[in-house]
Amino acid sequence: MISLTSEKTNQKPSQLASQELNQKPSHKTEPNYEQLGQQLDGLRAETMAKVGQEDANYIRLIIRLQRLVQWSGRILIVLGFVSPILWAIGVLLLAAGKILDNMEIGHNVMHGQYDWMNDKHINSKAYEWDIACDGASWNRVHNYEHHTYTNIVGKDRDYGYGLLRLSNDFAWRVKNLWQFVTYILLSVLFQWGIAYHEMAAERVFFGKKKDNRQHKISHAELKQRFFSKGARQLVTDYVIFPLLAGPFFLWVLVGNLVANLLRNLWTSTIIFCGHFTEHAQVFQEAECKNESKGQWYYRQALGSSNIKGGNWFHVSTGHLSFQIEHHLFPDMPARRYREVAPRVKEIFAQHGIHYNTGSFLRQYASVLKRIIRYSFP
Amino acid sequence: MLGVASGKLSSWISRQILHYSSVGGYLETVIQLVKPNWRDGYYRAEIVAVKKLHANTVEVQLKVPSYWPVHKAGQHLELTLEIDGRLVTRLFTIASSPSLAKSKRLVRLVVKSQPHGILTPKLEALALGSWVNVSKPSGDFTFQFNLQPEQRALFLAAGSGITPFIAMLNAMLNNMLDDQSRSNKHERDANVSALHLVYYAKPGEHLLLDELEVIAEQLDFFTFELLTRTKDGELSKKLPTLNADALYVCGPSPFYHAAAEFAKRENLPIYAEHFSLIPTTPDEQQTFTAQLNSELIELTNAEPVLTQLLAKGRQLTYGCKMGICHQCQCVKKSGVVKNLRTGEVSDRGEELIQLCVSQLMTDVELEA
Repeated sequence: MISLTSEKTNQKPSQLASQELNQKPSHKTEPNYEQLGQQLDGLRAETMAKVGQEDANYIRLIIRLQRLVQWSGRILIVLGFVSPILWAIGVLLLAAGKILDNMEIGHNVMHGQYDWMNDKHINSKAYEWDIACDGASWNRVHNYEHHTYTNIVGKDRDYGYGLLRLSNDFAWRVKNLWQFVTYILLSVLFQWGIAYHEMAAERVFFGKKKDNRQHKISHAELKQRFFSKGARQLVTDYVIFPLLAGPFFLWVLVGNLVANLLRNLWTSTIIFCGHFTEHAQVFQEAECKNESKGQWYYRQALGSSNIKGGNWFHVSTGHLSFQIEHHLFPDMPARRYREVAPRVKEIFAQHGIHYNTGSFLRQYASVLKRIIRYSFP
Repeated sequence: MLGVASGKLSSWISRQILHYSSVGGYLETVIQLVKPNWRDGYYRAEIVAVKKLHANTVEVQLKVPSYWPVHKAGQHLELTLEIDGRLVTRLFTIASSPSLAKSKRLVRLVVKSQPHGILTPKLEALALGSWVNVSKPSGDFTFQFNLQPEQRALFLAAGSGITPFIAMLNAMLNNMLDDQSRSNKHERDANVSALHLVYYAKPGEHLLLDELEVIAEQLDFFTFELLTRTKDGELSKKLPTLNADALYVCGPSPFYHAAAEFAKRENLPIYAEHFSLIPTTPDEQQTFTAQLNSELIELTNAEPVLTQLLAKGRQLTYGCKMGICHQCQCVKKSGVVKNLRTGEVSDRGEELIQLCVSQLMTDVELEA
């Protein structure tokens, strides 16, 4: 009775072909968008039909594991006075706990991947993660803007986070000369970068206010939520837990600091590998007007890159090592990306779409190369 | 005092440190290691008996925890089962007396299974000793013990709509036995002078007949008759032949409407609980009432809910409008919608829906 896409599917993707930007692989032969859309929709429907008990058990198992890892980490950190080795193991466990919470649980649950479970706590509305960024703010910027307007210049604020120049579509500025240092700092402080992200774009504190921006949320509320979530994080990790440890205050404070740092570096690295490898493409807003579902899939495919690895590696990245599949099917339970990946690759091959994947080292080297390359005009 | 303080402390801990609405929610998966199916915000009940009463009717006995607030006869509870990873909730009227719940912590449900239902067909396969989740009792379909002497109350039941009446009658029976044991043997429940039950069901499908007979034997003011539509005609034809001062109705919507019409005409008080089946896909344009927070809005099934609400100028958070970003997600408290992206038809109960891909199939209650 109601069709969601039919009015769009007949539009010819003429703009795409006309926009040939230098310095990146061209969009070459155009795929048959309608067929591509149908194939990927079909794959999604087929996989979602299988989603059930197994997936519910899996996410509960991961949540249970997270509790175990995080709390044994916190306890071992205090036992640092017995042996520094215990402290070091504790820090690693706490970092692992935070990574599990942020990536395999937080990121995925907040994407709505487990909303079908009807669980009061495991759903995109209720979940709040252990990171400085307020969940609702992340949901607005990431789930909507980044996933709908993936890698569209000017629309996807995740693209370089407004700090890095990663394509010639952005004008070169002098500050880009030292953007490698900026990148390192961003990685170190990644949780705060993400937390501040929406406010930076909304020019809450600095910069010229943009008139045409539609405000979904007031600046006052943004500020209030930013400070309240940020303060909660700081107070928990750097006041409450250290105080609970009494004489071992410093052990715990430093341990928490290192754990947070490790988490920041890991999440930042994985995310950069997913979107800013050498061949990940950017798009112009005009290209994407009146996109059909097939064209949308195509853009998701070209804007993302995967990382090869074993099962535990995938879990530790929240399955963002399957960034391509995640961008095609953002609300599919992430563990399912493992089984759809070969099929996606097949479909891509059929349409001559490049399936961007590689080892962690290869993809990361490619990211670093890109950051350095675009430091210069 | 101590309870309030510890409650405050635990809610502070859960908010500040755990980012959860409750400590129980944060620890749920860990607690489940020891207590299977333990869930934050639900009561856990053990299956102690499952009996098939009929080809399509099953009786389930639950043992509720001691802190479960005992129901009033006629109330229902929500039963939640995890079915293929998904928590599915249905309302069922409790078909046993409050005193049974108080003394033995037993609650009985008598459920007619729906041929294409999600939850009801699973009930007969429930293993003894397994755990399910229930809510506290609710509902205001209870017997109002306020009839004058010489007044007559009429119970109208259809199919599995007999359950609240069984609970009420059992409660009356228990009250009477209690009164007798408290030595005023000759006085009977002075507030009720006559109670008559008219029970409609398909031929041979009247439920709990032996129980009704026992009750009728012991409660001398209670009588009942069993009817079938094919043999005895519609309820609307039957009603004028009955003598009543108040109506109690439990059955499907058309059954209720027949009774309501009669009550209106005769100016009689009517108390009711009625249920309807999940509709099939509507082919023609229909208009429904959507309750958004506290506001009532008329919407059709011709366009997704979000499109219509935005067109009517409602301020809502939304994003991609194609069912991907989950920005327009809201809680559907009740009603049925169809997901236009997957073609799936929702349950009647509470769940999260994406407004941009939801088509109305019934009236709905939304919390955005």
